[in-house]
Amino acid sequence: MANTKELKDDKSEEKEQFQETQQLIVFKQGAEEYGLHIDQIKEVVLTPNITKMPQTPNFVKGVANIRGNIIGIVDLEEKFGIKEATTTAEANKANNYTLVIASDEYKVGLLVTEVPNTLTVKSESIEQSVNIVHDNNVEADYIQGIVKLDSRLIIMIDIFKVLNEDEFENLATAQDATA
Amino acid sequence: MSKEEEYKEIFLAEALENHEELNRLLTQLEKKPDDKKSIDAIFRITHTLKGNAAGMGFKNVGNFAHVLEDLFGEVREGKLSLDDSIFTTLFKAIDTLGELVNAVKDDKTVRFRGIKTKLEVLLKNSKEEETEETEIKAEEVKEKPEKAKKPNSKKKEPETEIKPKSSAKTAPPAVEDAEVVSIDDSKQQEKSQQPEEPKDTKISFSDLVQVPVRKLDNLLNLVGELVIERDRIIAANSGMVNANEYARLNRISSDLQYSVMDVRLVQVGFLFNKFHRVVRDAASSEKKKATLNLSGTETEIDRNILQIISDSLIHLIRNSVGHGVETPEERKKVGKKEEGVITLNAYSESDVVVIEIKDDGKGIDASTVRKKAIKNGLVTEEDAKQMSDKDIVLMIFEPGFSTMEQVTSISGRGVGMDVVKKAMDSIGGDISVDTEQGVGTTISLRLPSSMAVKGTLLLELSSETYAIPLSYTEAVVSLYKADIHKVSNGLVATYLGNTISVVFLKDVFGLNQNQSVYNEKLLHRSYDELHPEKKLDIVIVSYNNRTVGIVVDKLLQQKEIVEKPLMKPFDKVKLVNGVTIMGNGHVCLVLNVSAICNMIFSKSFSSKSTVSNF
Repeated sequence: MANTKELKDDKSEEKEQFQETQQLIVFKQGAEEYGLHIDQIKEVVLTPNITKMPQTPNFVKGVANIRGNIIGIVDLEEKFGIKEATTTAEANKANNYTLVIASDEYKVGLLVTEVPNTLTVKSESIEQSVNIVHDNNVEADYIQGIVKLDSRLIIMIDIFKVLNEDEFENLATAQDATA
Repeated sequence: MSKEEEYKEIFLAEALENHEELNRLLTQLEKKPDDKKSIDAIFRITHTLKGNAAGMGFKNVGNFAHVLEDLFGEVREGKLSLDDSIFTTLFKAIDTLGELVNAVKDDKTVRFRGIKTKLEVLLKNSKEEETEETEIKAEEVKEKPEKAKKPNSKKKEPETEIKPKSSAKTAPPAVEDAEVVSIDDSKQQEKSQQPEEPKDTKISFSDLVQVPVRKLDNLLNLVGELVIERDRIIAANSGMVNANEYARLNRISSDLQYSVMDVRLVQVGFLFNKFHRVVRDAASSEKKKATLNLSGTETEIDRNILQIISDSLIHLIRNSVGHGVETPEERKKVGKKEEGVITLNAYSESDVVVIEIKDDGKGIDASTVRKKAIKNGLVTEEDAKQMSDKDIVLMIFEPGFSTMEQVTSISGRGVGMDVVKKAMDSIGGDISVDTEQGVGTTISLRLPSSMAVKGTLLLELSSETYAIPLSYTEAVVSLYKADIHKVSNGLVATYLGNTISVVFLKDVFGLNQNQSVYNEKLLHRSYDELHPEKKLDIVIVSYNNRTVGIVVDKLLQQKEIVEKPLMKPFDKVKLVNGVTIMGNGHVCLVLNVSAICNMIFSKSFSSKSTVSNF
């Protein structure tokens, strides 16, 4: 189903070439669909073996070797409170794919259960300002917008705001305080 | 190629580069004679060249560069103004310098005293500021031939050795003529120099390639990955093919790895030689007398490690002068020579390089350190009483510690020594202090000789594999639960007659995640869950004279690994020093023993336990 949708989108893109479009990668977290800009995505790989890392928050499942790079693996479903906390061993069994996301500073892998799809949307169809009941664990403005497409609703997120400083940094300062 | 040859080559490469730079700067300077930057740069380069040449024992180059340095020192201070005639002399001097540098390579004789004398005269004259210019010139003319001739005639070697000159015998007068002319008319001199120059300015290529360390780092990383990949392939195909199948691959990749590592090795002497100055400066500002002795300078160590510890060594040496060596009067009183001796010694010991900083000063007074540590809140009074003198002395490496009553400019600011400890921890080194009152102090730094390959002990915990650097491990023992006892909120066991602290690695990792619910009995958690007859695998590690037994699930094997540092966002994780990729492609964490020890002991200290001291 997702594939036919994609094809349709591609066609609509051809018709309205003059209109500004954006390519997204759409992946499922829990029951909802989330979207990321395609230029943030490095690759999608089968999830390699994850090694647990001490002194990190629970939603950080650990590190894995992806093509010789050591990449931190994050479970967003856990971070967003969509599902119960799992251990690294469980994560190793459960999640099939890892979405590798690169910023200037570091790379991080997101655990997903299904292969993510690409999707082309018109820039104007992204609703920028949305009133949402926020989770106070996460920085409020990590949601960049909502894409509505037929009956689908895709939540656009800024992944680096989600993972931003807060937990990683807090962790470090907490360590400093006790050390 | 012998090491000496290699250093000669490095010197030559650097010197030729310096020479080129001097030429460029001087040309620039000629266009803008008051360009302060160029003058400073020239001064600096001649200074470096002088130092390097003197260090290598090339006296001619050294002396010549020294004269140039002095001259530009005068120019820099504005005592000597640059005019056309000086420039021609200077260019000629730089050419001579180039010849001298080349002479190091081919052992040719280069006549340089004439031009050197000329520079010296310039220098001398600039000091007699009031002298009229004409007089200077006249003097020069008079002095020149005399001074120039003497050394020339003294030289035994006939000038035939000078390559470009057509007739050796006629050469000396020709040069002298040129010099005399130059004083009268610089332009004409330039012309007369022209025929000589093309022969002298031969483009020379060095046999050395300078490579940025960054590129070497990259190369080393790649080799590291290659080795990991090799192990992976061998592991994956073991049993399927003959074991000899991979022998060649093994050999080639190992050779490659060691070659790359070898490229990064430098002699510690490079760094040590810079410390003569540090000792001199430190001693003179403290009004003390001290000399530096070097030994084991040919010991080799990874260039990056040398860089990391260079600041630490400066601190340690200053400290030896500042705190160790007594004032000349005090030294006389106790019957020592007025001049204190600081000895820097280096030697290799299997996988590690040991650097010792030794002074013959007054030694460290443990009771002063003890008082100070208590006063500064580094330890509680009860703890301090139980700590041995050796442990107490190590407190000088704690942050915020300083024994000198008065703060002096070079030591006693309370920073510095903890920098040493931090640097050592970052590279997995270890510090020990050996001190005797009135006799002196020896501080030994044990450093890994290469950062690339580490010998480690692999172990298993909660079905994950971890590695502990062998540099910290003392032994591996098996104990029954009954051998381990609860003391206060820690655990202890007996090892070789000593009581040591024991921790379960699982508990140490647990401490972090449950920080908020941290309670004093946390380190007992795994112990309490154990079956009473369970046999435990324990790795005995030692760090800063503290010995700790770390309980793990299972000991696996010893393995050489290529460690990769933790990248963002994990660079703040303290318990893990780095990672390595195993043969099966899994990531293995390399434990940071110093962080684990610090963590346990800081917790114990803060909760006023007494088990941590033994």
